Amino acid sequence: MITGGLDVAGLTIAIDGVAVVDGLSFQVRPGEVVALVGESGCGKSLTALALLGLLPTSARMVAGEVRLSGRRISGLAESALRKIRGRALSIIFQEPSSALDPLSTIGAHISQAYRLHHKVSAADAQARALAMLTSVGIPDPARRMLQYPFELSGGMCQRVMIAMALINNPSVLVADEPTTALDVTIQAQILDLMKALVAERGTGIVLITHDMGVVADIADRVAVMYAGRIVEIAPVAALFASPQHPYTGLLLASVPHADVAAKAALPTIEGRVPSPRQFGSGCRFADRCPRAEPACAQEVPPLHATAEGHLVACFHPGSPPGLRTMQT
Amino acid sequence: MIVPQLPTPVLELRDVAVHFAGRAGLFSAAPPPVRAVDGIDLDIQPGETVGLVGESGCGKSTLSNAIVGLLPATRGTIRLHGQDITGASPAKLRQIRQHVQMIFQDPLLSLDPRATIGAAIAEPLEVQAGLRGQALRARVAELLEQVGLAGDDATRYPHQMSGGQRQRVAIARALALQPSLVVCDEPVSALDVSVRAQILNLLIALQRRTGVAYLFVSHDLAVVRHICDRVAVMYLGRIVEQAPRDLFFAGPKHPYSRALMSAVLEADPVVQRGRQRIVLQGELPSPSDIPPGCSFHGRCPVATAICSIERPVLTPRADGGLVACHHA
Repeated sequence: MITGGLDVAGLTIAIDGVAVVDGLSFQVRPGEVVALVGESGCGKSLTALALLGLLPTSARMVAGEVRLSGRRISGLAESALRKIRGRALSIIFQEPSSALDPLSTIGAHISQAYRLHHKVSAADAQARALAMLTSVGIPDPARRMLQYPFELSGGMCQRVMIAMALINNPSVLVADEPTTALDVTIQAQILDLMKALVAERGTGIVLITHDMGVVADIADRVAVMYAGRIVEIAPVAALFASPQHPYTGLLLASVPHADVAAKAALPTIEGRVPSPRQFGSGCRFADRCPRAEPACAQEVPPLHATAEGHLVACFHPGSPPGLRTMQT
Repeated sequence: MIVPQLPTPVLELRDVAVHFAGRAGLFSAAPPPVRAVDGIDLDIQPGETVGLVGESGCGKSTLSNAIVGLLPATRGTIRLHGQDITGASPAKLRQIRQHVQMIFQDPLLSLDPRATIGAAIAEPLEVQAGLRGQALRARVAELLEQVGLAGDDATRYPHQMSGGQRQRVAIARALALQPSLVVCDEPVSALDVSVRAQILNLLIALQRRTGVAYLFVSHDLAVVRHICDRVAVMYLGRIVEQAPRDLFFAGPKHPYSRALMSAVLEADPVVQRGRQRIVLQGELPSPSDIPPGCSFHGRCPVATAICSIERPVLTPRADGGLVACHHA
């Protein structure tokens, strides 16, 4: 266990008795960016919500624990969680315009986030909010403080979300697809901002994303999720250079790269992600996996190390040769 | 010198503009018109794929809609197969329109939820080609097969299919009348990475088989690099650069294209972290208040005095590209 940062052990979330997130374990050290990547329905967003105790009523955390700076925060009462959320542990979402209150000014949003956790005067909170807006790179912050969310662009709203999330200097920030809704040039600005803030403040980040480009740009370590389980976890360079799980390899290969001949067929993954009702007793990728053998469908392959810090849940790990140029 | 006889382009755009008039309020005068598309020249040859790239609000979707006749052009001419559709009679328009079809980003929104897949694909065949009965059913089955679906998928409804399958249905429907041009508006943006590769492969294979030309509208330069023969970059309603793919990706000439390219995230941490990012200052100006001179000058890292006065025209270069910049 680590002292600072976030420690998730055996996190299991069930919907209608089916474990849609199954035995997730990972750590985020202070100042570290850990990406949770996977395709729709892999459970990455549910995981993000579970970390903050924000699961919808249909979903229930049935096993495992979440520790923040060594303190167990999973299973705490709502009143205790409220003292943690937005203070030691913050979250930002994909669509900032729907996460902001249309009837409150930008200044009110940020200063309230501060006053929820600190007994200070309104004027003090305003001053802090203004300083925070400046540090997230919003031009003309004094004027922006008085504006409403609809008066700001998507990129500006995301900066406001980041300002709200960071004003209390949380030790960990959960960022759920923070740049997915933004244009590429604005995405670049936001990623640079997040990098600067992590370096400056030592905030740990859990980055939920499906975009391998974002991962390549900002993550220190990557956990690849498939159908509710982590199938591989590794430092970012190792994951891209030698993916060990067949799913990771195929996922990386299916992104068009500069070194793939134009209009050449991209490698694809046969079949579809199983729905939770179809989960078998073995590896959940088995029926789509080019390397699967009968045993794969029977037994769950445990996460085991293939190199220092590189864990994979597969009975037949190894990166295929010539992965990038592989043809279907 | 013998000038080779070029085939008639499937699409010729000459000075095409689409403006939206501002509406006067009860107590206010009408605001200036929104010049969403403001003077586009572009040709597409048979069997060619042209990528139209740019960020939200640059007018790429408005232009797409004008090409398929969903929006009237305010100015200029749009020729399909040499026939002018601007100002064509409704009957003539209907006849020309068989040759141009469209695929949208989210097929769930473009398919009728109450019509079966078979009915959706049969509709254009009945209305335009007059097919009935057995001939109609056979053609629907053939189209389904062409896009990688089973013949008995015809009885299913859109909500019973995955996003990738629905996009296949939209493609089958678009190809039903054997068009010579399909306008694809962000056709893979809403799809997961592995499904995206399947749909790109399908579009490329269908083009090889049928010789259809694509106008491929996208904000994703990695996808554009993979699928397109030529690239056109739009900024605030105008094309600022146009070039064959390899020339463009070897090094775009317009400062906006360069910034756009530098913001694209490569799915490779070594490459991505070794790149120098050109971070643009500020945000896209409003298309109802386009700056004088070059519309990019306010954000351009190399702008000089002339850029705020005189608008640069799209000029052919010796290398075969076209660039609208005083300093390219």
